[in-house]
Amino acid sequence: MNENLPNPPQAPERTDNSALDLPLESGPAPAKDEALLERVAANDQSAMAEFFDRYGGLVYSIALRVLKDSGQAEDVMQEIFFQVWKKPESFAASRGSLGAWLAVVTRNRAVDVLRRRKPDDSVDDVVLLSNTNLASEVERSSMMEKVRQILEGLPVEQQKSVEMAFFDGLTHAEIAAKTGDPLGTVKTRIRTALISVRKAIQA
Amino acid sequence: MTAGEHIPQEDLALYAMRSLSADESAAIRAHLDSCAECRAAVAEYSGDLALVALSVEQQAPPDGARERLLNRIAADANVPESNIVPIDAKPVNRVYSSIQWSLVAALVIFAFALMLKIGDMRIELRKQAALINQQAAQSARAQQVLDLLTSKSAQRVLLTAAQALPQPSGRAVYLASSGSLYFQCNNLGPLPAGKTYELWVIPANGAAPLPAGLFQPDATGGASVILPPLPKGVPAKAFGVTMEQAEGSATPTAPILLAGAVSGE
Repeated sequence: MNENLPNPPQAPERTDNSALDLPLESGPAPAKDEALLERVAANDQSAMAEFFDRYGGLVYSIALRVLKDSGQAEDVMQEIFFQVWKKPESFAASRGSLGAWLAVVTRNRAVDVLRRRKPDDSVDDVVLLSNTNLASEVERSSMMEKVRQILEGLPVEQQKSVEMAFFDGLTHAEIAAKTGDPLGTVKTRIRTALISVRKAIQA
Repeated sequence: MTAGEHIPQEDLALYAMRSLSADESAAIRAHLDSCAECRAAVAEYSGDLALVALSVEQQAPPDGARERLLNRIAADANVPESNIVPIDAKPVNRVYSSIQWSLVAALVIFAFALMLKIGDMRIELRKQAALINQQAAQSARAQQVLDLLTSKSAQRVLLTAAQALPQPSGRAVYLASSGSLYFQCNNLGPLPAGKTYELWVIPANGAAPLPAGLFQPDATGGASVILPPLPKGVPAKAFGVTMEQAEGSATPTAPILLAGAVSGE
């Protein structure tokens, strides 16, 4: 079988300026993710049910946010979870947050569908550095609320740029053409917004 | 670009977001292969993007989505791995696929139902056609009788008992051109077992009598012969009734019980 999902979140070398030692990294949830994936690797279908219960809402919500179509959003969700079932060992060896990785992969897949382009694994090699613990419902809800507040606190231009790039799947050139802003300005806004979110979570 | 020339942070953020063009992405990807520092930066931006993704309003998966996944997984347990379509293949649209399969299933069902309906309609059509043919035949026969009885050129003959006793009598209406004959009689005596009355047309040309039908009287002695099979174009000079064996006879057997000559013959 071909490589299905992008590479699991292999932890790169941590840098001193990593701002992702999130407050929610402690707790038993990451171990639960791993244990769940071990059961999935053992072809335990009930483990997939638990896995879906844990992350189905998150994955579907992100896909729906991008695609604005429930059917297409479920398509993306189903494919991602199915590939988790097919290749759970990829995650078992990974470090970092499985939930965070799923969030980014889901967004990328949804954008692929939105832009009607074939998924490009080489581009989709999502390696992320995040200790965001999303295994429990409480933690997910808490983190979501916190991120929303942070994003709402950003300058409107940054919000819009991130919105168009991340959720609408537009390239920076398309955003510049749409807003009339210079390319460099768009780039700066997006990076600044991301750094701001990172620092706010870290604070 | 070499590892010593790092990618601008803005571009790395856009790369993580996949918001660069294909060419730009390819160039950065080539650089990342040899630059751990830039890879780490991309990973950090990806972590940031995961946070951004969390800002979405939470929505519950559609009803049945969980079951669909579990069913697919259960089905996969018995499917060779080579049969699995990878996620990097052409994206599968479950809804469209589901709609297509549902549409195919609906069409199959509809076609099957249509075939059954067509079959039923064909049977009904055959029944109706048979009924129409039957009614047409009856109508044609009735019309022929009417034509015979109303025809001015029909020969009308009163048949009486050949003997002096007048009680049994019969009336024949005959149209030679069409070979049509209507015969009705009264007061005939009951037949012995194994016997029948037989009507005869006596051709005007002296040919042998033509058998014109077997009949048995009812309880009142009445009987009729309507449109027996007769050749066309045989003018008659007389009509007669004899008693024959139940299966009838090719030639009349004496005595002639009823006889009547065509007027003017």
